[in-house]
Amino acid sequence: MNNHKGLIFDIQRFSIHDGPGIRTTVFMKGCPLRCLWCSNPESQDFFPNLMVRDINCKGCGACVNACPQGAITMTQAEGRKIEWSRCDQCLLCTGACIYHSLNRRGSYMEVPDIVQEIRKDEGFYRNSGGGVTVSGGEALWQSEIVAQLLAACKAEGMHTALDTTGHSSWEKLASVLNFTDLVLFDVKHLDSGAHRRATGVGNEQILENLVKAAKKKRIWIRMPLIAGFNDSEAHIQELTALAKRNGAEKISLLPYHEGGKAKSPQLGRIYPYPDAVAPAENHIHRLKDIMEKEGIVVSIGS
Amino acid sequence: MELAEDLRSKFVSKAVRNVQRGYTEDDKSRGLFRPEVKLDIQRSRLMTESFKQTDGQAMVIRRAKALAHVLDNMGIFIRDWERIVGYQTSEPEGIYHPIDMNWKSVNRLVNSEAGKTLLNEAEKKELEEICEYWKGKSMSDRQQEMFSGDLAKYWKYEGTFLWTHWSELGIPDYETLLHEGLDARIKRAEERLEEIDKTIPRDYIDQKEFLQSVIIVLKAVINFSKRYAVLATDMAAVEKDPERKGRLEEIAHTCSWIPAHSPRSFLEAVQFFYFIHLIRYLEYSTLGIGLRLDYILGPYYEKDIQTGKLRKEEALETLQLLWVKFLELGLVYSPLVTSVYGGVASLQAITLGGRDKEGRDVTNDLTYLALETARTMRTIEPSIALRIHKDTPDELLSAAMDTIRTGIGYPSFFNDEALIPLLEKWGVPPEDAKMYGVSGCVYMEIPGKNITRRVLGYFVLAKCLWWALHQGINPKTGEQWGAKTPDPATFKSWEDVLEAYLTQVKFFTTKMTEVENTCRDLYAKYCPKPFYSAIVEGCIEQGKECKQWIYPSMVHDFAMVIAGTNVADSLTAIRKVVFEDKLVTLPELAAVMDKNWEGREDLRQACINAPKYGNDDDYADLIAREVHHRTEAVMETVKDRFGYGIRGDGSAVSATYGLAADTPATPDGRMDGGPFADSTLAPQPGMDKKGPTAVLNSCAKIDTLQTYNHLLNQKFLPQFLTDDMKPVFLGYLKTWRDKKISHIQFNVVDKHTLIAAQEYPEKYRDLIVRVAGFSAYFADLSKGLQDHIIARTEQSLS
Repeated sequence: MNNHKGLIFDIQRFSIHDGPGIRTTVFMKGCPLRCLWCSNPESQDFFPNLMVRDINCKGCGACVNACPQGAITMTQAEGRKIEWSRCDQCLLCTGACIYHSLNRRGSYMEVPDIVQEIRKDEGFYRNSGGGVTVSGGEALWQSEIVAQLLAACKAEGMHTALDTTGHSSWEKLASVLNFTDLVLFDVKHLDSGAHRRATGVGNEQILENLVKAAKKKRIWIRMPLIAGFNDSEAHIQELTALAKRNGAEKISLLPYHEGGKAKSPQLGRIYPYPDAVAPAENHIHRLKDIMEKEGIVVSIGS
Repeated sequence: MELAEDLRSKFVSKAVRNVQRGYTEDDKSRGLFRPEVKLDIQRSRLMTESFKQTDGQAMVIRRAKALAHVLDNMGIFIRDWERIVGYQTSEPEGIYHPIDMNWKSVNRLVNSEAGKTLLNEAEKKELEEICEYWKGKSMSDRQQEMFSGDLAKYWKYEGTFLWTHWSELGIPDYETLLHEGLDARIKRAEERLEEIDKTIPRDYIDQKEFLQSVIIVLKAVINFSKRYAVLATDMAAVEKDPERKGRLEEIAHTCSWIPAHSPRSFLEAVQFFYFIHLIRYLEYSTLGIGLRLDYILGPYYEKDIQTGKLRKEEALETLQLLWVKFLELGLVYSPLVTSVYGGVASLQAITLGGRDKEGRDVTNDLTYLALETARTMRTIEPSIALRIHKDTPDELLSAAMDTIRTGIGYPSFFNDEALIPLLEKWGVPPEDAKMYGVSGCVYMEIPGKNITRRVLGYFVLAKCLWWALHQGINPKTGEQWGAKTPDPATFKSWEDVLEAYLTQVKFFTTKMTEVENTCRDLYAKYCPKPFYSAIVEGCIEQGKECKQWIYPSMVHDFAMVIAGTNVADSLTAIRKVVFEDKLVTLPELAAVMDKNWEGREDLRQACINAPKYGNDDDYADLIAREVHHRTEAVMETVKDRFGYGIRGDGSAVSATYGLAADTPATPDGRMDGGPFADSTLAPQPGMDKKGPTAVLNSCAKIDTLQTYNHLLNQKFLPQFLTDDMKPVFLGYLKTWRDKKISHIQFNVVDKHTLIAAQEYPEKYRDLIVRVAGFSAYFADLSKGLQDHIIARTEQSLS
């Protein structure tokens, strides 16, 4: 990994669901969690990787010749096939493809270049109460770069937000919080066992960080909402209590969507959570009511 | 609300369907109009009667008498629910055709597949007899007779520009008219007549004939209103239902007072305005309104509210009734013209908000009420132009957003911060510039000033680039049609291509303007407009018809420029692919395009992959800036017949789809005949990948002051306009304002709805979409135009 550069998989302008107003969200690549429902699986690896869009393939065969591993084949019967076990993510094929069928996900960028991109929408932030959000992957795994980036944005008077899973050392989180106005703190499940089964890690460190972060900064709690996993009324009551205890300003419930289902095969993976569904509309409203009765501000989907 | 629903079920839409793309048929079998719409030939009949009697008299008198004859004799009616009266024809299903302009196209239309339901056999026969009289006398005959030499060759549409003889607009001086009534105008004309009898100016006869014609038409207008008063009185006498009887008595009361006198109430002011609007339209078949509704009618509303004469709900109903009046106006288009006016009724817009002469914000209760009318009526016209500036209240922006999210496509936003300085640059004095109104798509005009402004044509800039790559020679015929520009093999950079393109722009602007200038002179001589002259400032005072002098500025004449984005993206692709990456030479690229990219998909991909305008990337955006700035500068060097520069304009209507059929493949990767970017500031559909903020940043690099009033479509998903998104939307809009981009409008409908509507048109009969500077029923558009609208990038990211 490069010390002066951040590995980024997307910079999304006109983000309107990652904090207040119109924002630019910088998505840092690499995540220690492996949430089953992950809607951006291309954000997980700590290195740039290949992502395929078969629909764009015109069958020109340029990629077959470009691949040093011989992982790509082209036949009349099956079209282009990639043998993912042989792919070493050298990404030479992405340079050969002119149809945007083989694409590189993730690039290394220096802080001033990222800031320059963010700065472009400064007028929109000012008029809408927006700013910049750093998200992931897990942004704190590149905490040095993220701290530098947010410091630079703050120095220009921008509102800054950090969207985090909370899964990192307190020191790293604290170093970034120094330059953060608002934390969008993700909570997946309040039971550590359930959390571990669905994400690969327990939640002790996460909850500890939440408590500490809330003492220093404004926080919004965000939770993906998956039927049968974390949408029971009892669990929502617990979440509400957590929010109230820590003075969170708002809870956002993000109903599950199938974004990851289509992307997994594009990365040569099998989707690990084929049966997941979002809770029914009326159930979501019931949960919202429960939280609002406790005086919490709730938003659905953002 | 109840009234709105009731009216919605009753009105007869005159919206036209696009049946052609250039000379190519496009869903022609559907017919030009809805089957219930009928051509009403009484205006033609009455005009002809009058013209036969006035042979030998001055044209301005003849036209005044003809209009008076129509107003004195046309069939009139009052419908059940009406409180505002007046109609273009003798039946609600009627539209009229201006026989005095052109008899050939209407005759052709009623005998064609597209127009076969418009007339029955007996009427067709009568029409033929009427046409007989106009042979050699209609404006279209006179034009064709007058065109000689090059003009005879270039006036016909070939694919580079579509010159048209109509779309002549202007906004009457409603403020003064309502304030003093028409009697005062008649008096002024009489006084002027007395005055010239004493002074005997050099143009004594012209002045006298003009002033007499003014008196003839104004008296006829007053009489027209009185006819409604008589009809209403007669109907009231036999009406049993007390509510209807009350309405009829009210109509009688109103119509016996206005427009001779100044209105005594809000309702009378609305009726006064509508008569003026209607009769303008009967004098000369054209588009647009341009009324600054809140500014002009607001004082009458407020006075009635203050005196307790009017309730807000009642005022809302009055506006709803007025909306139906707008809706039921329609025009007869030739099939060729439908390729640029797909889905249009008569392209009418009212203006709200903005500043007054002193620079104060004009927002009042009527501003909000007009928006509420639009929300409850949900109709394609009138479109609303909302003027925005630094002092526009947030509350108004918020009400505008509530209106947009109904999906009707308006209000569209006009930026005073960009447009007032632009008008000043065109020579409009600052106090007038602040008063501008928008009459159609993005047509800006100064109310009350003598601006008989014409759209002289639709100008396909991408075709000019294509000529530049072919030295002005049509490769199919070998004919030198455009300017003789240098051989592309000699070009050393994209700038050389730009220069050749600009030479072509100048060449075709000159041709178009020569045609127009000839025609303008003809219209001044053979088609004077005494009524319009009587309702703007300065004509009566000077004794001069409106075509004989000009409000000194460049507001007047323009060409709608189309596909500037495609020119820019093409030059960018040439810079990247030809001059930087050297994948191909320019002549080779031109040869590949002549074959519509056949066998060279790789090259087309390279061109598509070159940077594109609309992504906030200077590489492409600065070329777009150069293209727009230089195009405008070159066009301005060509002069109208009063010596003012010709300019571009962003009202592309549906020409970005319709006329694109006649431009072969272009270096931006576009295929032969493929649609262009849908407005002057819009990126090519699908090519803007960085979202709506990047689009605005790209747009802002094109300086309004160095170009013209633009048009920008943005398409958003309905979810973007929910209540919790209000700060985001307002923030977006304010940033648009701060960036001094001249215009923006929003199509709010998701792709799935449009696709469903394409499949099941009967279920989505009322679905409205924004096409260009106007809204239309989606079902009225051809499949191709529908696809074009679906393809426009949907701006919403999660």
